[in-house]
Amino acid sequence: MAEPRAIRLVERALRCYPARWRRRHGDEAAELAALLIGDGASAGSIALSYLVGAAREWLTPRPGLRLGAATGALLIVACSLGVSAALLASSAPARAALTPTRDRGASTGQAHGRTHCRAVSDQAVPGVIRSMGQLPVIIWEAGHERSC
Amino acid sequence: MRVSGRDGRAGQDVLRRVGEASVLILISLADGPKHGYALIQDIKELADVELGPGTLYGALDRLERLNLIESLPADDRRHPYRITAPGAAALRVHLDSLERVSAAGRLRLRLGGI
Repeated sequence: MAEPRAIRLVERALRCYPARWRRRHGDEAAELAALLIGDGASAGSIALSYLVGAAREWLTPRPGLRLGAATGALLIVACSLGVSAALLASSAPARAALTPTRDRGASTGQAHGRTHCRAVSDQAVPGVIRSMGQLPVIIWEAGHERSC
Repeated sequence: MRVSGRDGRAGQDVLRRVGEASVLILISLADGPKHGYALIQDIKELADVELGPGTLYGALDRLERLNLIESLPADDRRHPYRITAPGAAALRVHLDSLERVSAAGRLRLRLGGI
């Protein structure tokens, strides 16, 4: 028969489990520990095994919580899509201004087939930058504007 | 259970990621229902693995959530567990997969002359 001190050690470890787990397995787990201690297993290793199990039990997401997490993730995705759509809508004038003008560049031999590169005068496009809500990233290169 | 695999024999191996303890529990339950203490003793005998009681209950809960085993009405304070039909099918698929890998490993060892 297991010593009372060993039993108390295991019971303390079992108290670390969530209440629902203890309701379900608590009695059986205490009895199993007593049997194993009776077989010669050390109470410390059994208590440690239960402590690790308890930590894992607290960290394992329950099905209900998983549903909540999935709902939260869906909401975040929906919000992100909404913000992206709003950004796209607001950047429509910017796109129109950045439409590739190959013909113009091709005639001067300066476009090199780059769709985001067009020959312009040495002026930034303030309307474009304002509507994109970003800092301008413009490289001036021999009369070309490259905003990436 | 979905059937896949190159030869059409193998289904989806749901036990690939459940861990060794869960597979050993399923193997132990394959010849009839057992409660926790009997499972620990049987697994020690068949695989020389000493399952800690914390590991045992974690694996039992996981297998039950996956519907691979079911808990039977308590006998005194002990809950016997029984393998379900999907559990038996999943175990068969997993063992087939292990067998194929094992055979391939042996063949390569032979070819390598080791």
